[in-house]
Amino acid sequence: MTLPNPPRSRARAGAIPLKSLRVSRWKERLLAYCFLAPSLIVFGIFLFYPLGKSVYLSLFLTDPQGRIAEFVGTDNFKAILSSDQFCNSLWVTVKYILFTVPTGAAAALLLAALSHQKLRGMKIFRFIFSLPMAVSVGTGSVIWMILYHPTLSILNYGLSFLGIPAIQWLTDPKWALPSIAMMTVWLNLGFNYIVLLSGLQGVPDDLYESAKIDGSGSVRTFFRISLPLISPSLFFVGVVSIISAFQSFAQINILTKGGPMNSTDVLVYNIYQDAFINYRFGSGSAQALILFVLITTLTILQFKFGEKKVHYQ
Amino acid sequence: MKMKPFGKKSLAMMLLSCMMLITAACGTSSGGQASGEDTANAEASASGGSSPVKVVWWHSMSGDVGKAAQQLVDEFNASHKDIVVQAEYQGTYDESLNKLKASLGSDSGPSLIQVYEIGSRFMIDTKAITPVQQFIDADQFDISSLEPNILNYYKFDDKLYSMPFNTSNPILYYNKDAFKAAGLDPEKPPATYAEVAEAAKKLTKQGQAGGSFAIYGWFMEQLLANQGAELLNNGNGRTSMATASQLNSDAAVKTLDWWKQMVDDKSLLNLGRKTDDTSKAFAAGQIAMTLDSTASLRSIVKAAGDKFEVGTAFLPKPDVATKGGVIVGGASNWILNNRPEAEQKAAWEFIKFLAEPKSQAEWHINTGYFPITTKAYDEQNVKDNMKQYPQFQTAVDQLHQTEPSLATQGAVMGVFPEARQLTETAIEEVLNNKKTSKQALDDAAKVITSKIEEYNKTVGH
Repeated sequence: MTLPNPPRSRARAGAIPLKSLRVSRWKERLLAYCFLAPSLIVFGIFLFYPLGKSVYLSLFLTDPQGRIAEFVGTDNFKAILSSDQFCNSLWVTVKYILFTVPTGAAAALLLAALSHQKLRGMKIFRFIFSLPMAVSVGTGSVIWMILYHPTLSILNYGLSFLGIPAIQWLTDPKWALPSIAMMTVWLNLGFNYIVLLSGLQGVPDDLYESAKIDGSGSVRTFFRISLPLISPSLFFVGVVSIISAFQSFAQINILTKGGPMNSTDVLVYNIYQDAFINYRFGSGSAQALILFVLITTLTILQFKFGEKKVHYQ
Repeated sequence: MKMKPFGKKSLAMMLLSCMMLITAACGTSSGGQASGEDTANAEASASGGSSPVKVVWWHSMSGDVGKAAQQLVDEFNASHKDIVVQAEYQGTYDESLNKLKASLGSDSGPSLIQVYEIGSRFMIDTKAITPVQQFIDADQFDISSLEPNILNYYKFDDKLYSMPFNTSNPILYYNKDAFKAAGLDPEKPPATYAEVAEAAKKLTKQGQAGGSFAIYGWFMEQLLANQGAELLNNGNGRTSMATASQLNSDAAVKTLDWWKQMVDDKSLLNLGRKTDDTSKAFAAGQIAMTLDSTASLRSIVKAAGDKFEVGTAFLPKPDVATKGGVIVGGASNWILNNRPEAEQKAAWEFIKFLAEPKSQAEWHINTGYFPITTKAYDEQNVKDNMKQYPQFQTAVDQLHQTEPSLATQGAVMGVFPEARQLTETAIEEVLNNKKTSKQALDDAAKVITSKIEEYNKTVGH
């Protein structure tokens, strides 16, 4: 908002004395803040105030009703950082990100590349591939709960034709996290697909044409032309997927509740359990702050290093 | 410069959203006022007797059981012109209790709430309730006909803080037809751990496992009480506040070893934590035995339908001579003390109604929860029902044969829901070969003890 201002002010400066220039500059700034005020208020109420309150709560012990009982300083942080459960949650979260982010981006990229062709009826495919976006997490989880049901699972029924014994998708600790990851990849597919497809469609046709004239095959064209040119979209998908993987909650709450053996107990679910089931707001807030720091650092790192590889047109 | 009109538009949008926020906030505060008026009305009616007193009852009864609860409420409202009970389903016991926690200290809570048995210590510690004993004393209400084992559970320091409403205990369900097919006597269900393990082995064949127990902390608690083992120190938290968990007792290790052995030789399936899943598998004939609450009796018998005959048996014990019995599971109703006196009295009237033999008989037949008053067994419809569904008798017999002790009175601690979660995780660790029974239970007991200590510290005991 302030950027376009200097030329205009300079133009005025010729006619108006210095003092009133300063006043008008102030006025303009004030106006800018007036425009910003509503969003600042909204952010303040829903973001900065809760953040401040979390910092405050993280220094206290709360009673079973969530009321402040005792000041404990940094004990909550110390207890969390030395607890096995937190380490487990962190490890589960990392695994979950590794399971969902690369596979999610790769699957969406594959579908986008396939449906980028100009063929008849392609619109139908595009519609189908972006459909998961219209499914809410809750609905999606319930659908997959039935697919993964321990005794009535349709997936197991399908496997039985291949002679593969039934898999306890959600009750076997080895399978629970991959199962949830699979469901999440499917759930996020629609969004990733739309972003990557629009990226592909933004690549100018003349590049493809000259590649064709130079005798480049379709695989080579994809890796040498399409992929570098959609790297901003891929980068965007990467950043957003990592953040959303960190924040995944509903599917875990519905499908496994963090179990079995805490094998799906990601950080956010652990926070929820601590704060809203066991009413330990202190330790819950402390964990939330640690998560906040983690996500912020990771995002900064991504922008610092990841963005260098991104090619903006 | 092209930005400008857009900026104006978005400003308008932001202002609009701000206004909506503010009006929304105002909306809730005026709602609060309205409920304030309601309570004022309630007080006015107590003196003037013009409009009926409204009692808001939070409960956790869903499905068929929820319908049965609503039916009782309707009957009460029809017979009491001066009181209107408004029943509100608030989700599972956990969810409902969490909502109550959030509402404490405000006017948005109920007048009466149904809380599961393991929430009792917490409810007392909130100091937000009026002990039912006060009304019992003031009213000279006769509780001598109430089931003694149920009273035992809900009495703390010889005082009744809440009124039991729906009580159940776990029983062994088995498929009589499968027993016949496997050459077992369907009229002689397994009673000991060894017998269950043996039957499970015999029942296991292609497409049918011997059984499956849901990984439910409640079953562990019950199996321990059934052999007279206490879950907590200080007399299960009954003689004084508990300070340590005894989940790693020999009885628990033995029980978990038995459970694990059956899972290892594939005669017992591990279907996860939900009893919903085990009862579905049982109804589908995929498993021949399962543990479940008596409150599920009606629906299990219905789901089995004509496919097979459902048998019910006592919860198994390590051996027949072991002393012990089941803990009374279920829930009780609590009166909140931040409500006007007239409303609390009205809530008490409703509680009395629910405790009547006639109400309890109806409740028992429609659900499978057993009556809290022994007089209900004299009602004709209960007698008829027992004849039609002899399976109901098992639950009642099991309750009556339970010898009162600190173990069968049930453990008392403020962090019970969390302790149950930790127990379930420990069972999973054992069944999935991560830890031995002893190791897993030792670890779980240690964590539960630390949670108890923290709880005791924050409630100031």
